[in-house]
Order: sequence, then structure tokens, then C-alpha cells
Amino acid sequence: MPGNSLSRSSVAGLPAGTGGALPALMLVGLFFIVPVVALLLRSVTDPEPGLQNYAALFGSGTYVRVFLNTFLVASVVTAVTIVGAFPVAWMLAIMPPAMGSIVFGIIILSMWTNLLTRTYAWMVLLQRTGVINRALIGLGIIQEPLPLINNLAGVTIGMVYIMLPFMILPLVGTLRAIDPMTLRAAALCGASQFEAFRRILLPLSLPGIAAGGLMVFVMSLGYFVTPALLGGTSNMMLAEMIAQTVQSLLNWGLGSAAAFVLLAVTMALYAIQLRLVGARRAGGGL
Amino acid sequence: MSRPFLSIRAVRKTFGAFVAVHDVTIDVPKGEFLTFLGPSGSGKSTTLYAIAGFQDPSSGDVLLEDKSLLSVPSHKRNIGMVFQRYTLFPHLSVAENVAFPLRVRRRPDTEVKRKVGDMLGLVRLEKFADRYPGALSGGQQQRVALARALAYDPPILLMDEPLSALDKKLRQEIQAEIRRIHRETGVTILYVTHDQEEALHLSDRIALFKEGRIEQIGTGEDLYLRPVSEFVAGFIGNSNFLSAEHLQTTAGAATVRLADGSIVTGVKATTPFGQGQKVRLMVRPEAFRLTPGPASAALAVEIVDTSFFGDRRRVVARTAGGDEIDVRPTSDAQATDSATTSGQRIFFDPASAFLFPA
Repeated sequence: MPGNSLSRSSVAGLPAGTGGALPALMLVGLFFIVPVVALLLRSVTDPEPGLQNYAALFGSGTYVRVFLNTFLVASVVTAVTIVGAFPVAWMLAIMPPAMGSIVFGIIILSMWTNLLTRTYAWMVLLQRTGVINRALIGLGIIQEPLPLINNLAGVTIGMVYIMLPFMILPLVGTLRAIDPMTLRAAALCGASQFEAFRRILLPLSLPGIAAGGLMVFVMSLGYFVTPALLGGTSNMMLAEMIAQTVQSLLNWGLGSAAAFVLLAVTMALYAIQLRLVGARRAGGGL
Repeated sequence: MSRPFLSIRAVRKTFGAFVAVHDVTIDVPKGEFLTFLGPSGSGKSTTLYAIAGFQDPSSGDVLLEDKSLLSVPSHKRNIGMVFQRYTLFPHLSVAENVAFPLRVRRRPDTEVKRKVGDMLGLVRLEKFADRYPGALSGGQQQRVALARALAYDPPILLMDEPLSALDKKLRQEIQAEIRRIHRETGVTILYVTHDQEEALHLSDRIALFKEGRIEQIGTGEDLYLRPVSEFVAGFIGNSNFLSAEHLQTTAGAATVRLADGSIVTGVKATTPFGQGQKVRLMVRPEAFRLTPGPASAALAVEIVDTSFFGDRRRVVARTAGGDEIDVRPTSDAQATDSATTSGQRIFFDPASAFLFPA
């Protein structure tokens, strides 16, 4: 290739600054697209060409259960995160900016704290002899320790805690764009707080809920550390299964197939959201 | 005397040490168009918000047909309101916006449909029923807001500077609409504005607010022709103020000496003044004549500028004392080019002038 083949005319159709984006684009191309293609190929060639890995995946009750459990956990986490994040986002949206930035700071700080540390902290809090159970027993509220760890409850608590900022941030953007006067108008029109929420605030905040919800759901689908540490053996998630398949069973073909199914589901969800909410809003407020 | 329809009794609102509204008391008869006029921060919006239920007064009471509104939450007050900002629900069509108050009241569909049709007819936006607020102009949005506020036949309609975001021509157009709608529906309207022309044009009565108090309440004519203070005279209509010294008052007619030494007799004095007290003489621009009339006082002035406005002419003159005054000659004869000259004299009837303490 001649050195000056990338003449001005060949990039004339592209926006200015495209040249500067090339290194990053190449990085993504090289280290994302290529491995994904390799993964796909591996899933249909390892140990021999064919769809036997996918057949095994969907044919086995165990694997299907892991899939279903993964979706269950991601759905529960997303739902709880939305319910938990909404009041916080609303408070942030109507707060004076100075106070809001303090709360924002706390939220961002939590995101910067090491994930593993935070998950281990939850183990300390949630286990049978953990702080929460001992406190509840000490207060006489319960007699026996609550099963808070190695089950769906533990995974949900740990993951919602991690996911909240990813829901709050896009939601605040959407809620800030809503004029509070609109809600006063709704009140004078006769709408109780609940009616105003249901008929005005909720529909107007749907784009933010959809953006944040999709992000949380997709991140939850592929989550590894928190479910592995706080979840039980009976509710294993997909990422953990892939890790076991590849690391313990050395079954790269099956692991690749599972990973590819996860990727396909994620992309399908994104496509659906693009359709429902529109391409511009799907990126959310982040 | 029959009981007032809406009664605002000694409403007071404080924010910390700041008193936004000082014990405002007004009785509003049914069907009246009452305007709260005043500069920003004069407490007019705060008083309106107390009626709407957005800000509870620190003390005092608001009674509608003898029942206190204060313990009733906003959404149960059954009051209509049009806001300064556009507050239509952006995700609902024009028809659904107007239907909203009826839907939350769970009215049957047939009634909702009929009422929405009536209301859109009232504001002449039938053709826009299926549009969304984002596709409407500011004036159209405020008309939809008006239709929404009237859809449930509220006994009172509150309007908080609803036209301030619109341009002048549109404002006048919608003022005419509001007058017509007030006539047709007979709804009691409390209207907040800082625009005195708007207040004069629309209202049955005007309550002029100053620093949290009502300075004067009355018809537009009362405020214009019988202002109780320099503030009222300055706020309503255009006014010229001339520095003067009070010499004496006999039988309500005061004699004053202007800064240039000329003596004016027969000025209305509503409050007593001491001899030698500094006063301000207020004369409306249209009270000046360029030719002497019977019993007129004269001012030696220099004509600074003359401009033509189609239906009238405006002359700016400067007195020997340096006060600039605004003169609006009323007849053609007077308007005939009184070229820019010094040594000119203008005349006014002292009986149309007012005297206020300086």
C-alpha cells in the first residue's frame, strides 16, 4: 500500500477528526470484533464442526436452568434497582444543585470503590453469623438467623447495591428535564400524588427508566463476581457457568456457545430498546 | 351585605425573617375579574400560590363560600390555574391534556368527549385536538392550558402571568380571548401580572401590590384617576412628577410653588400637608395642553423631542428645573407641529393634578 493512499479525497466523506478516532476503533476492532468472531467459530468447530455445543446447551436441563436463573436474577435485580433508584433520582433532580452534587459525589465514589471489596463486605454483613443477623437477633426481632446469603436474596442485595448508580444517573437526566410546574399543574387539575405519578411523571421518565433498565439488565446478565460470592449453587448464573466450563471442564466449545448466546440475547434486547425508545435515547444520560 | 364568594383574610407569608405578604385581606364577589398587579417581589404571586395551595400562608385564611381552603390539598381544591410557564403534559395530545382533569375525576367517556369538544371550541382550537404540545406555538399552548383549567368548571380560575412569555401582538390577541371567555363562562378570575396595561384592559378591579401589601384596590379608573400614593400614580399609566413646595391648602385645593418659582393653585390635595413641605406634583401626560385653556397653569419648558405614533403624538419637554416631562397632546390642533423650540409654554388644569409627599 503506497504511503499516501490515505489521501484527503479518500476521507473527505467522513467527519473531521475521524483520523484521531482510528487508534481506538482499531483497538475495539482488534480486541473485540476478532475475539467475538473467534468465539463464534470455536462454538461451532470445537471439538468438531457442527451445532452440537448449542444442542448440548439447550438440551441439558442443567444449562437451561442456569439460563433461566440468569434471566430471573437479572430481571429481579433490574426491577428492584428501578424501584430503589427512582426516589433517589427524583430527589437529586429537584434538590438544590449544591446539595445534589454532594449526593452525586457519594454515588460516584461508591462506583470507584473496588467491586470485590464491596462484595466481600456484603458477605460479612449477610452471613448467618453476620452483622445483620446478629443485630436482628440481638434486638429480639428474629430467633433464627435469616438466610441472606448463598441464595437469590443475597445476589439481589449485592447486585442492586452495585447497579443503583447505573440506574440513577440516566434517570436523573430524564427527570431533570421535567418541569416541576407540570406536576403542580397536574395537582391543581385534581390529580393526587399517585395519579400525577402514574399519569405524568412515570410516562415522562420512561426513556430514562428504559435506558438505565437495559444497562442494568445487560450488566446483570453477564455478572460474575457478586453472584459467585453471594449466590448459592442452586442459582448459578451464566457467567459462572461459562467460567466453570472453560476452567474446570476445559470445554471451550460449550463455553464459547454459552458466551455467544449471552451476547446474542444482549444485542437483541438492545435492538428492541432502539425500536421502542428511539436510537437517540437508548444511550441514556451517561 | 351578602357574604363574599372568595375571601382572603389577613393572609401573611414569611420566609425566615422576610415578610413576603403582609396581612392581605380581599373579598372577591362571584364572577369578578380581579387582578393582582405589582412589581416582581411585591407578594402578588405568593398570595395567588396561597389560594392554589402551593404555599401555605404563615397566618390568615382563605375562604371559598365560607369554607376554609387551607386544610384542603391542592388536588382537592377544585381550582383552575394557568401558569406563566407552559405546563401542558408533553406526552399527551391537546385533547388528552384538556381531558386530564376529567379523567382523574373518573368522569364517563361521553362526558369527557363532549366537554373536551366544548372547551376546545371555547379557545378556538378544535382543529388542534390531535396535535401534541410540542407542535403548538406559545399562544396556542396557553389557550390549551386555559381550556384544561376550565374543563372541570372550577369556581375560581387563577392565572399567574400567563402571557408574559408571549410577544406583544399575541398578548393583545389572547387578552381579548380571555375577556371573551370570562364573559361567556362567568368564572371568577384572579389574575397576576406586572403589566399595568394588561391589568387595565382585563380587570373589573385591580389590587396593586407593593412590598407585600395592597397599596390600593379598586377599578382601573379608581387607580388611574384617584391614586392614593405616588407609587400608584407612577405604576398605573404614565405620570410626570414635578418637585414643588406646598404653600397652603384651603377647602381641599392646594397652592404650590414649582421649582422654577411659578405658583400653581387649585391642586387636589387628598392628604394634609404642612406649610413649606416638599411635595411632588403629578400630572398625567394627556393632561397637558400646548395651548392655554380656561383656568390653566403654565409651565415654561423647552421642547426636546416630538415623535409620531399614528394615533397620537408624544412630546418630550424639559422644565427650567431640569425635570423631563412626557406630554401627550390629545387633539390634532395641539399636535400640529410644535417644532422643537425653547421658550415654549405648556399648560395643564390644576384640578387634574395630584399632590404627594416628596
